[in-house]
Amino acid sequence: MNSAEVNLTLEPAADTPRPLVLTPGEDLRGYLLAHLGRAVLFLMTFSSVLAVLLILLFVIVRSLGFLSGYSIVEFLAGRDWRPTADSPVFGSLAIIVGSLYVSFAALVFAVPVGILAAVFLSDILSWQARNIVKPVVEILAAIPSVAYGFFAVLVLAPWMQKHLGLSTGTNALNASLILAVMALPTIISVAEDSISAIGRELREASYSCGATRMETMIKVVIPAAHSGIIAAVVLGMMRAIGETMVVWMASGNATQIPHPWWDVSQSIRTMTATIAGEMGESPEGSEHRGALFAIGVLLLILTFSLNIVSEYFLSRAKKATGKA
Amino acid sequence: MNLRLRGKLDQLFTAATGLSVVLLMLVLVAILGPMLYRGSNAVFFQGTVEFRKMQRDLFRRVDDTTLNAEIAETEQFRRRVYAMIEEFRKGVDVEAMSSQVRDIHRSFGEELRAKNVPADSYTQLRGLTRDIRDNLQAAFAKQDVNEIRPLLDEVLQHAENPAFEGTSAEQFFEIARGFLATAEKVDLSHQQEYAAALREVESILFHTQDLPGLLGPRPEEPQPLLVMLRYGATRWDQAQQLLDRFSWVEEWVQDKPGEPLVMRRTPRATLFPETLQPLFPYVEENAGQMLRPKFTAYWQFFLDDNVNGHYFGGVGPEILGTLFITVVGMLFVIPLGIVSAAYLVECAPDGQVIRIIRMAINTLAGVPSIVFGLFGLAFFVLFLFPLLGFEPKPCILAASMTLAVLTLPVMIRASEEAIRAVPRSYKEGALALGSSRFHTFMTVTLPAALPGILTGVILSLSRIAGETAPILFTGAVSMGDVPKSVFDPTRTLSYGSYDMAVGDRLAMMVPHNQYGMVVTLVLLILILNAVAIVLRTRVFRKLRGQ
Repeated sequence: MNSAEVNLTLEPAADTPRPLVLTPGEDLRGYLLAHLGRAVLFLMTFSSVLAVLLILLFVIVRSLGFLSGYSIVEFLAGRDWRPTADSPVFGSLAIIVGSLYVSFAALVFAVPVGILAAVFLSDILSWQARNIVKPVVEILAAIPSVAYGFFAVLVLAPWMQKHLGLSTGTNALNASLILAVMALPTIISVAEDSISAIGRELREASYSCGATRMETMIKVVIPAAHSGIIAAVVLGMMRAIGETMVVWMASGNATQIPHPWWDVSQSIRTMTATIAGEMGESPEGSEHRGALFAIGVLLLILTFSLNIVSEYFLSRAKKATGKA
Repeated sequence: MNLRLRGKLDQLFTAATGLSVVLLMLVLVAILGPMLYRGSNAVFFQGTVEFRKMQRDLFRRVDDTTLNAEIAETEQFRRRVYAMIEEFRKGVDVEAMSSQVRDIHRSFGEELRAKNVPADSYTQLRGLTRDIRDNLQAAFAKQDVNEIRPLLDEVLQHAENPAFEGTSAEQFFEIARGFLATAEKVDLSHQQEYAAALREVESILFHTQDLPGLLGPRPEEPQPLLVMLRYGATRWDQAQQLLDRFSWVEEWVQDKPGEPLVMRRTPRATLFPETLQPLFPYVEENAGQMLRPKFTAYWQFFLDDNVNGHYFGGVGPEILGTLFITVVGMLFVIPLGIVSAAYLVECAPDGQVIRIIRMAINTLAGVPSIVFGLFGLAFFVLFLFPLLGFEPKPCILAASMTLAVLTLPVMIRASEEAIRAVPRSYKEGALALGSSRFHTFMTVTLPAALPGILTGVILSLSRIAGETAPILFTGAVSMGDVPKSVFDPTRTLSYGSYDMAVGDRLAMMVPHNQYGMVVTLVLLILILNAVAIVLRTRVFRKLRGQ
């Protein structure tokens, strides 16, 4: 706004002094405008809620046709997934187990590294050095999942086949290693936040009792920050379960439960990969498509419950540091 | 516990934490390093003359006169290869020779008729050539030189016959002489093996039904229909692989029963008799002269369309499609995100509603990306589009809206943080001067928060550009035209990377293009993120420092 404009609007006021009280019309208009504007803003803000509701509604509605016609017990407990057979069978147990299997395997790799890295970032590294390391974590988080999948298929899989002597390079181990890398940024940043949120007092009290840094961290700070660290692990788990491209490309997509259970060199298949792989082939309105949407519902239930757990622990962590 | 032990344990712990961060960096290098290195090969490489030919024919961008001079020079060196192979084939490929002889006999008859020779001499000459043809074919069927020689001698005694002068029948004698020469030098009992080995050599040097070779098709050959077969090795690294295959035969053999197979390499030259031996050192020594590798910076990789399923060309349409989807998505997500953030920070009415909205945002952030794909298909494509009268098919609009919903939490959180970071005093100053809350927000808070909001915009941009799963069913295709409107599906970098990684044999033959695609995507996203990081640190320093 320049000064010429200001003068223009002020000039008439100099001649005929404007009444200080608004007319009823002006008053009403201002009132309506303010409230209307607020209502519009509220509606736009509410779009997030609307989106969640629509996602729930549409994914559930699409799966209802299948769920009403197929035994839910068979769907959840059956191990056979043969959607294109003459008499199709939709048993998703192996697929659900596959999802949980790679996610837990990923956590086994990611949690120790993640917590140690969080401790290093929050308590050991100097402020300047942190500014160098932090972007590394951010870049790991920014790399698109399809690029991770690309790496898994074209670099890691042949390497595993050659150097570990596995029959196939696309297997549970490959997928969970990559998932671990993808979950690490989440775990590190949330865990680091909660570890730094534990105040100086606790640390200084511990040091003044003569504890070493390791003892302070393991016996005082990490137990104090446990809520936040649990939330970090849960969020990392969410990231791993919801990931699609990497598991689709790297897990081998064989519908089976690994036997023996610790044999990570076997191929498995996850819920997300099943949806991604079969959606294009399932005809609109078919039972197969309904079953895929039903898997989507399962995924939603799984991530929603994990979300609630993480929210609970995050709020507990906030409360705990608030008191201290 | 012993003090020294505690000290050691402490050091061990510190080392472990440090190692985990070092591990993180190593992982980053291990993932990005090979990708960037191989991806850079898509743009920077040793391009051969075949590459320049391809660029001229398909993209019209090479200077014609210099290229023609270059082609002529390479042809000089190639001609000897063609000649050597042709020469050798004459003695070995009996089927081709038989049919050639048949053709000569037929065309000689036509020539006679065209000349209107009298009937009796016509019959006599035809009878003579029929005998020659039969003798030649009989000779081709034999493998012993002593049996072949009398047959060919009988043919060659007609060589001086004036009636044959200047007609196609002269070729009979050329063939006969060539075959006799071969029969004297080459052991014809291996004829079949030689012919098979020669076919292999030809497929490596020229091309097969579906794979390009080292030099491309011979000049007199008809142009293959498949574009990729029209050119030889366009890149020097490809050429060297083909040269290796040309010089060596690789076999997996089992030395003793029960032992694993081992690879054995034997020189390919040993498969051939002495007459063809000079070909191998000649091709090896003169490969550079025949292909003329030259350092090439193929920056048009980022503009060109691909040819024959990414065998040639670049990722232009993929970049365009990614930008298209991203821009349309941002049109939805920027207003929604900023307004939501402003409402959450500035209006903040009763706690319950805000809590529900916040919970929804957090939930939205946790929904798996593939479920967004399901939602986009079920809601936008199959429900909303028919309702609005659009055709219910996957398209850019559906993909953009799906991605907009997916990235909304990122946008809201970043904008909220930015708006919150604006010092209270700014706002209070404006309010104290009598401006309304809306006016204050638009003229004071928003401009101050804008760089921070921009960070959020860039982060959501990079998220939209990189996501694959949500657009699998809502708008991405692996092949197709460049989209004309938002109602067309499009190719994108993300889906293209997936497609090339799990793609067919053809994609595996051009790793530089595979990696080129994914590196383009990764670089695009890393640059966006770097800008966001820099912007963020500067903004926060500024807002705090003042």
